[in-house]
Amino acid sequence: MPALNIAATGMLAQQTNVDVIANNLANMNTTGYKQQSAEFEDLIYQNQQLVGSQSSDTGSVLPSGIQLGSGVRTAAVARITSQGNLQQTSNPYDLAIQGSGWFRIIQADGTDAYTRAGNFALSPSGQIVTQEGAVVAPGIAVPQTATAVTVSAQGQVQAQIPGQAAPQVLGQLELDRFPNEAGLGAQGNNLFMQTASSGGPQAGVPGTAGYGTIQQGYLETSNVNAVQEITSLITAQRAYEMNSKVVTAANDMLQMTSNMGGSA
Amino acid sequence: MDNTLLINLSQQVAAMQTMDVIANNLANMSTPGFKRDEMQFSEYLAQARPAEGEGDQHTLSFVEEAGVARDLTGGPIQVTNAPFDFAVEGKGYFVVQTPEGERYTRNGHFTLDPQGRLVTDGGYSVQGEGGDITVTQTDGDVHVAHDGTISGLNGQIGKLKLAAFDDERALLREGSSLYSSQRPPLPTTPVKIEQGAIEGSNVAPVVEISKMIEVMRSYQATMALSQSQEDLKRGAVDKLAQFQS
Repeated sequence: MPALNIAATGMLAQQTNVDVIANNLANMNTTGYKQQSAEFEDLIYQNQQLVGSQSSDTGSVLPSGIQLGSGVRTAAVARITSQGNLQQTSNPYDLAIQGSGWFRIIQADGTDAYTRAGNFALSPSGQIVTQEGAVVAPGIAVPQTATAVTVSAQGQVQAQIPGQAAPQVLGQLELDRFPNEAGLGAQGNNLFMQTASSGGPQAGVPGTAGYGTIQQGYLETSNVNAVQEITSLITAQRAYEMNSKVVTAANDMLQMTSNMGGSA
Repeated sequence: MDNTLLINLSQQVAAMQTMDVIANNLANMSTPGFKRDEMQFSEYLAQARPAEGEGDQHTLSFVEEAGVARDLTGGPIQVTNAPFDFAVEGKGYFVVQTPEGERYTRNGHFTLDPQGRLVTDGGYSVQGEGGDITVTQTDGDVHVAHDGTISGLNGQIGKLKLAAFDDERALLREGSSLYSSQRPPLPTTPVKIEQGAIEGSNVAPVVEISKMIEVMRSYQATMALSQSQEDLKRGAVDKLAQFQS
């Protein structure tokens, strides 16, 4: 009986839905986290009677055919890259991006990763690094004598050195944009990798057309909306329950069938 | 087998099939743009041979599937705030280019591919009035007007192409939220396109669950009828055997 399998696809899809919601809720307080959502599609249809086929030789046609569906599948788990709220921290190495763009991170193995989480720190050698110690591109070193470090909205990093009247320019932060941000591959630790579906990065100076600006002393919070997630969770749970009811009903029907004439 | 059992069988096959349709509706409760199906049946009349001693012919009435009708009511509009999620209010389908030709969909969950083209979850390009819609890096945040005009920082990028059909039920389901049509689409009357929202599935769980219970009960009732028919027959055989001895 196909109803059993169809209901199973429904349960499987809702399970994925709950998994995605659970991950969103778990990352509600993760800096720079972008909410994900599971997207569904119907499966192929079995044509038992084609729409518009002739029902008689005088040319009358069937107004509706018989197409039986075979359930649902998860088409994608899409990332929603909308802006998160900016939270003030007053830490000079906390940088938030207001608008689009990603920080480029040079990992220990030399490969590039991208992040929206700007909770940076200084390494023992004075370089601006992530919490895991990976260098923030292009690799800016802050002299030990610096008393204050400022990052402008356009990404210019300057330090106040005692004995110098003018602040010293240490470097320029750049942002990278992708044709399809939702296609970036998440690899944990708030880092994302370039994939075939994201397209290649295009570097630009913050504040120029299409690129966001940098806010020093702020962090971008996750864009997870708790109320929305809880509502989705309730819907997903109920949908799972209803699909399991179909399994029970189909099973009952099959049981009745197998008991048919059993008392003879 | 006698006619009672055969008529019951036709009802049971119908109930099983209705169950499959309900299962598919419920499985697609969260599929954007999904339209629920409803199984429809018709009466099939057959002339039975008159039994011995009966003068007239009598008519038997079987159940026969007539078709699966698609319920075309609009689904609820769900706000997602994703820039490339679109909902169509009113009659109209988005046009998607696939290797097999043009396909139509109500599922407005789109993304950009590495070349910046607007595509579906399956990677097929969404068609504008002038072919593919390509968003470039310098366009910044994209705004879509209610008439489907897409614009960015550099001005107009394109306009979403919509297709209408005189008989929407004749559209063939292809799976993956896509429909195909044997007849070319008609130009649309103005429809409203909503950006950052998606049309949900029009499956109402309450309706499906109550239909499911109804189908199960009718299956059960038919089953009981078959059973009592069996008992009747067995009783007759027993009685006849008694008379002879």
